[in-house]
Amino acid sequence: MTQELQTLLDSLPSSFDTGPQWLRSLRGRAADVLQERGLPNKKTEAWRFTPVRSVVDTEFSHADVGAPKLAAPAPEGVTVRSLRQVLDQEPALLEGRLGESESEHFAALNTALFTEGLWIHVAAGVVVEEPLQLVHSLPRAPGPGVSYPRVLVTAETGSEATLIETYAGEAAEQLTNSVVEVELGRNAKLDHVRIHENAGLQVGRVDVRQDADSSYRSIVVTLGGALLRFDVRVLLQGQGAECQLNGAYLVDGNDHVDHHTLVEHQAPRCRSDQTYRGIASGHGTAVFDGIVVVHRGAQKTEAHQENRNLLLSETATVHTKPHLEIDADDVVCSHGATVGSLDKNQLFYLRARAIPKELARAMLTYAFIERVVDEVGHEPTRDRLQEAVLDRIPEGQTIREVT
Amino acid sequence: MLEIEDLHVEVDGKPILKGINLEVNAGEVHAIMGPNGSGKSTLAHVLAGRDGYEVTRGRVIYKGQDLLDMAPEARAAEGVFLGFQYPVAIPGVSNVYFLKAALNAIRKHRGEDPLDAIDFMKLSKEKAALVQLPDELTKRSVNDGFSGGEKKRNEIFQMAVLEPSLAVLDETDSGLDIDALKVVADGVNAFRSPDRALLIITHYQRLLDHIVPDVVHVLIDGKIVRTGDKDLAIHLEAEGYAEVRDAVLP
Repeated sequence: MTQELQTLLDSLPSSFDTGPQWLRSLRGRAADVLQERGLPNKKTEAWRFTPVRSVVDTEFSHADVGAPKLAAPAPEGVTVRSLRQVLDQEPALLEGRLGESESEHFAALNTALFTEGLWIHVAAGVVVEEPLQLVHSLPRAPGPGVSYPRVLVTAETGSEATLIETYAGEAAEQLTNSVVEVELGRNAKLDHVRIHENAGLQVGRVDVRQDADSSYRSIVVTLGGALLRFDVRVLLQGQGAECQLNGAYLVDGNDHVDHHTLVEHQAPRCRSDQTYRGIASGHGTAVFDGIVVVHRGAQKTEAHQENRNLLLSETATVHTKPHLEIDADDVVCSHGATVGSLDKNQLFYLRARAIPKELARAMLTYAFIERVVDEVGHEPTRDRLQEAVLDRIPEGQTIREVT
Repeated sequence: MLEIEDLHVEVDGKPILKGINLEVNAGEVHAIMGPNGSGKSTLAHVLAGRDGYEVTRGRVIYKGQDLLDMAPEARAAEGVFLGFQYPVAIPGVSNVYFLKAALNAIRKHRGEDPLDAIDFMKLSKEKAALVQLPDELTKRSVNDGFSGGEKKRNEIFQMAVLEPSLAVLDETDSGLDIDALKVVADGVNAFRSPDRALLIITHYQRLLDHIVPDVVHVLIDGKIVRTGDKDLAIHLEAEGYAEVRDAVLP
């Protein structure tokens, strides 16, 4: 990708000729960041545990997968438009909305190169009951291919909606480099479920900006992945905003999945709560890196962060690094991380009640991760995820046999 | 039903049980009393098959089979039940789901068809009422957020559903107030029958006011030092263990 990157960057100015001035300068800034910093390597702190070489050293061809598709027509009060179309016809609508979070590395690459995407707009006061379901097609190039999905979600004042995004496929050497931006107006609520399933090579980022009293609830479920790097960054910009970032990840075989969170408390009286749980078996590697930053003046902040991992084999690896940076004095913050195996007392308790060892292990493993999946409000999605988790945990089929 | 012969058990190389001999027949209730550290809970755990206990001598025969040779789940499937002193909480596994899996594992072992959800719920409701375990608790995660008394009632509830042949109740009375003790004892008494046996392990005599034992054994320093009828328990309560210990140990 390094060589390709240089070629791309050299050719960029001409491809920036189209579109509004603000977009051209946005892309230009992203290109500058890339020129200056390049793609990450082992020495880049935030990418220390990500075996990014396999991506950086591969030459990918740009595969145009078009805009992601909504599973059903948008309900009343929700407008879903092609980014390309809006940028062609009414670019001023997106100025100050798109690309407002500073980005580097892969996100900058997306900003420089995306050609298509979606703008999901939920009008003020609109409450959408049914979730908006977004399915991303993965590139299907003959050789290594890369796509740059881009989504902007605007939830206006007092609106409520659920977005369910799925990245699924089998393509081993296909790279998806996605950026999803979310802006929440005052009092707006968004539940965001994001599912990574057999998703090949994934570098994804969700950038959230929250106005006062808004609520963002994210549930990320990662079911394996050859190489997956997912970052979610939330800026709590208005007083009383709150976010909940939950995640469940399972690695097996030679999977590598890497989840990063960054929550910035920029305003007073905001609340953030994070729970990520993971199961590592086989030769899999899982990474969790979470940062909570409490800015000066963000008094009455409440921030909690928890990462728990179940290590099921001696050859699996977990790196966990939750941390806090606090620059205010009137705050309540906590963080914690654990990496452990199945609890011997619990196992014995189940076996002492005639439950076979394999089933007892499966029950405890499933229970460990299910509590995250259980938070998914949309029942068909929750059921599907529960089945997918059962498929992936050792002896998971024994659980089906008793229900 | 249960024969324990010259059982010696070590934990981390330290002898805990030093030659236990005990025979429990169907229909009988035996109480094992003893001071803290005498080996009572070790005996209960060895019978249920917990790891970490090394049997260095002796044997345990249950219904004609070598019990020590069986996995914990096989013992339970054959009808051995341990009522835990400290029941562990299992967040994320619901009580009813767990108990249905347990019951159906036992039924499968006996060659019976699994109980379906409706029949199981009926059974569960009936048995929960027996120990006054609120319906809401049967649906919660196993022992998660239960009070001490609720955990013990949950143990007896499980015993009532699983209908074992031999129940070993390890300090089931500890942490119970008088009312809860009565409820638990009523549950245990309802369980008594000519084809079942009970081994009640306790520090205090008070549970035995409600569940009257046929035989009382005193366990001190890894050995049964005295055996008698229910009056032995009353005697112990009045005199304490020191008197027995002084009489039997050098």
